[in-house]
Amino acid sequence: MHYLKIFSTLVKINVEQELAYRADTVINISQLIIWTAWDLLALSIIFTNTASLGGWGAGELVALLGVFRLVNALMAALIWPNTERFNTAMRDGTLDYTLLLPAPALLLVSFTRIAIWRVVDFVIAITLIVIGVTMSAGGLTVAGVLSFALLLSSGMVIFYSLWIAMLAFTFWFIKFDNNVTILQALLEAGRYPATVYPPWLRMIVTFIVPIALATTVPVQALRGELQWWQVLMFLGVAVVVVAVSLRIWRAGLRKYSGASA
Amino acid sequence: MIRIYRRFWQINWAEQWQYRANLLMYLAYWVVSPVVYLAVWSAVANAQGNVQGLTANDFVTYYMTLLIVDVLTSDITLHILAYKIQDGTLSGELLRPVHPILTGTLVNNLAFKALTFAALIPIWIVIYLLMRPDFSEVTAQSVLLTAPAILLGFGISFFMNSTLTSIAFWTTRVYGINEFFYVLSVLFSGQFVPLTLMPPVIQQIAQFLPFQLTRYFPTMLVLNRLTPEQVVQNYALAVFWLIALGVIFFIVWRAGVKRFSAVGA
Repeated sequence: MHYLKIFSTLVKINVEQELAYRADTVINISQLIIWTAWDLLALSIIFTNTASLGGWGAGELVALLGVFRLVNALMAALIWPNTERFNTAMRDGTLDYTLLLPAPALLLVSFTRIAIWRVVDFVIAITLIVIGVTMSAGGLTVAGVLSFALLLSSGMVIFYSLWIAMLAFTFWFIKFDNNVTILQALLEAGRYPATVYPPWLRMIVTFIVPIALATTVPVQALRGELQWWQVLMFLGVAVVVVAVSLRIWRAGLRKYSGASA
Repeated sequence: MIRIYRRFWQINWAEQWQYRANLLMYLAYWVVSPVVYLAVWSAVANAQGNVQGLTANDFVTYYMTLLIVDVLTSDITLHILAYKIQDGTLSGELLRPVHPILTGTLVNNLAFKALTFAALIPIWIVIYLLMRPDFSEVTAQSVLLTAPAILLGFGISFFMNSTLTSIAFWTTRVYGINEFFYVLSVLFSGQFVPLTLMPPVIQQIAQFLPFQLTRYFPTMLVLNRLTPEQVVQNYALAVFWLIALGVIFFIVWRAGVKRFSAVGA
């Protein structure tokens, strides 16, 4: 309850900040709509030239686009703004003040800045997912939709945990202020099913920077491609990733000694 | 004059070299999209034999060539200069007896390009070894014929971006405007697919715009996939756009500098 209150206060502050720059918000949202139009055009170009991409139909790719946009929105709304703040605080030592506050450092570090207008991004993403799922309604099962929702949330959690681990590494390498660039760069590979990629690229996006766990895998569940034990396995992976990231984070915090010390 | 440029090169090379780790990250951005498109389209071509006559190998060579062309013709003027106009540090450069864009900015671009290119080579070789494409379309002749197209392509994107950057004299929203231009470039430059796969309307418009001259034209030229008429037409168009954008840039820049009253000065 206490955490929820802190969180809602942070949201309120960010809404107020957003309202101060209304013109920028309008421009940002219209750009978002233009990019969405392009994304859909790109998919239609692919599907005028082929009936399926690695066995996936147009509806499934629209759903995948939605999932990709959801992860991307997480990146843009939360990860970028807070990372920027964190990196500066790391360098000039203002992180001290954050750590001294009587609230969990992780909560403050990862939720202080929220690009509120990205709510639109979430709405577009969810809409794309719903449209995509309806388009590919052929072989949908309740179990499929349920495991899709489960894996989608666990994918987002994995992505969040990876980010926390990246931030924690900054405690050891102060100049590591490219900590999330590599996540963003590889995220692009989440637009298409990892199953069409050549093996080496599939390895990278599945094991090294597991973008595919957050994008391809949930849609695979939706398609009914996954066995129940595979769903459990991916959920297990999420639990492990969270546990490991939290450990790295705590170890990093212990390592931190302020900027001038 | 040459001495001035040489000195600018030394400064800018040293400056860029300082950020070589960042550069690797930029390169990651640069490489991922073409590699993903390459994977998607060669998968489609493999599944059905070809896509409108293009085989999987045609796609691989297209995107791999595009990777190189893109680094050679692209331009980072906006990132070098826009903030200087906004925070007023441009005034120092305006006091010098040389044109800030045609010296410092241009040379900084070239230094960045040289470093990016050097870093791209090993990555490109790794992709080559992984994909094993057949590059027999490329001949010594086509490479020679493409060299001027690359120069023109860089000139075009340099003047186009410099003009865009000059808009910073009037508005702080120059990054938003740039994003809009980026959308146009995605649509018309051939970076998503070879333009022949784009919807006919887009192809019609694209052939007159400068965007395809910076990516599609040099790429297709080096791969020997254009008819002699197309080559002549595109070269003529490239010269036209280079001059037109050059003139537009000088007019906009002049007007901008007149308006410029450095912040805080």
